Amino acid sequence: MFSRFQISHCPHNSKNNYGYFENFSAEFYRCLLQSFIIQMPTYKLTYFNARGYAEPARLLFHLAGVPFEDFRMTHGDGTWEKIKDSTPFGQVPVLSVDGTEIPQSMAIIRYLANQFGYAGKTPEEKAWVDAIVDQYKDFMSAFMQFVLAQHNGKPTEEVERLKTEVYAPAKETYIKILNGLLEKSKSGFLVGESLTFADLVVAENLFGLEKNEHFVAAEHPKLLALKENVYGIPAIKEYIKSRPDTQF
Amino acid sequence: MKYRTAHERIIFNRLLQLYLHYRSAMIQYKLIYFDVRGLGEVSRQLFHLAGCEFEDVKIPRNDEQAWLELKKSTPFGQLPILKILDAESQNEIEIPQSSAIGRYLANQFGYAGKTPEEKAMVDAVIDQFKDFLVSQKRLTLAVRTKKSEEEINRVKEDIVTPAKDTYFKILKKLLENNSSGFLVGNDITWADLQISDNLTTLDGLGIFVPSEEPILAKFHEKIMNTPSLKTYFEQRPASLL
Repeated sequence: MFSRFQISHCPHNSKNNYGYFENFSAEFYRCLLQSFIIQMPTYKLTYFNARGYAEPARLLFHLAGVPFEDFRMTHGDGTWEKIKDSTPFGQVPVLSVDGTEIPQSMAIIRYLANQFGYAGKTPEEKAWVDAIVDQYKDFMSAFMQFVLAQHNGKPTEEVERLKTEVYAPAKETYIKILNGLLEKSKSGFLVGESLTFADLVVAENLFGLEKNEHFVAAEHPKLLALKENVYGIPAIKEYIKSRPDTQF
Repeated sequence: MKYRTAHERIIFNRLLQLYLHYRSAMIQYKLIYFDVRGLGEVSRQLFHLAGCEFEDVKIPRNDEQAWLELKKSTPFGQLPILKILDAESQNEIEIPQSSAIGRYLANQFGYAGKTPEEKAMVDAVIDQFKDFLVSQKRLTLAVRTKKSEEEINRVKEDIVTPAKDTYFKILKKLLENNSSGFLVGNDITWADLQISDNLTTLDGLGIFVPSEEPILAKFHEKIMNTPSLKTYFEQRPASLL
């Protein structure tokens, strides 16, 4: 039996153009096996040492068990200023995949989710996952207007106006939509039967809002359940234990 | 798909159109949006570009009553909505959010980018446009609510211009680094449609001055002259937004 797998002493066998094996079928199986050894790309995620817009992608890497370089820059130490102009859009996060750079947090996570299988199972499911993260972005843009005005010491009445006219309605819409989806969900996830990156984005958003006292999860049981569901996944739970504890 | 010759491209597109025509007997699309270009326009253009039939439902912008009635039945209380009806099973799926709709249609029709990396860059361009839109909306709101000329100019200078500078810098960098003349890859994508449409709006608002931005002007003209869209552009009603 083993004579069939006689390894040629000369790997580049000029007699019959085989690689390592003298026998045709052994060589065939070698080539077949080699074609299945898919080389994993080299991933590097660049962001500040914060959760911010990069954290859902970090969660996804850990969930999928895919190694990546989690490059965290310290605010104000000059690192960002040095590399800013070399990034595609002059912004972070940036994902580097074998040298190709992809900017914009949601473009990054959608790309990774499609690679790893967490983007939704059908084109229609994928569209719904996209719609939910778009809603998250809409909410964040309203929220940031209010928070930045507050942080930058804008006049009290301007801050109040943003809070009541911009932030509060956006938050109400966002929560209503999420609750509506979870109400109808049989799986406990936002879309379909299993976790998608929409669940990661929303769970992480709720975590950050609660940490900064903009949200009380206990007042929204379905949202609390989603957050606990996501953070209870072993691979994510493990990562959360050791991730840097930052305010944002 | 890399088209080795113009013939290949023509044959592929014809086959795609035949397939879509056959499928439109089985799947009916309805796009519901206001009677402006706004966030619904890129989806309309995708249908026209692909030669795929669809029902283009337009709700009058100033008919508050009609909108409020419809709003309750929409998934997110917003427009646009895409309705996909499977004619055989009578199963209907609704999709909200303009970019989710745009990406879905672009993927169906083959205008989303040719590789996963290209698709990600197309998504990133769309996201950048959406970021800029936050500032643009401050201006259009000031115009719609008839604020003073002083206030409108203040919004233009303090809010829109800095955002526009960042946005245009990114777009120009992409165009300068791509010999195809498109934003991403060698062929038209929905990112080209969206950005070009936005430039039409910004031209009308006096934010984009073609003579001052030759790279963007050349790009805008290229997309506006896309053969399968020219007729649509000529026939559609003019609107500021």
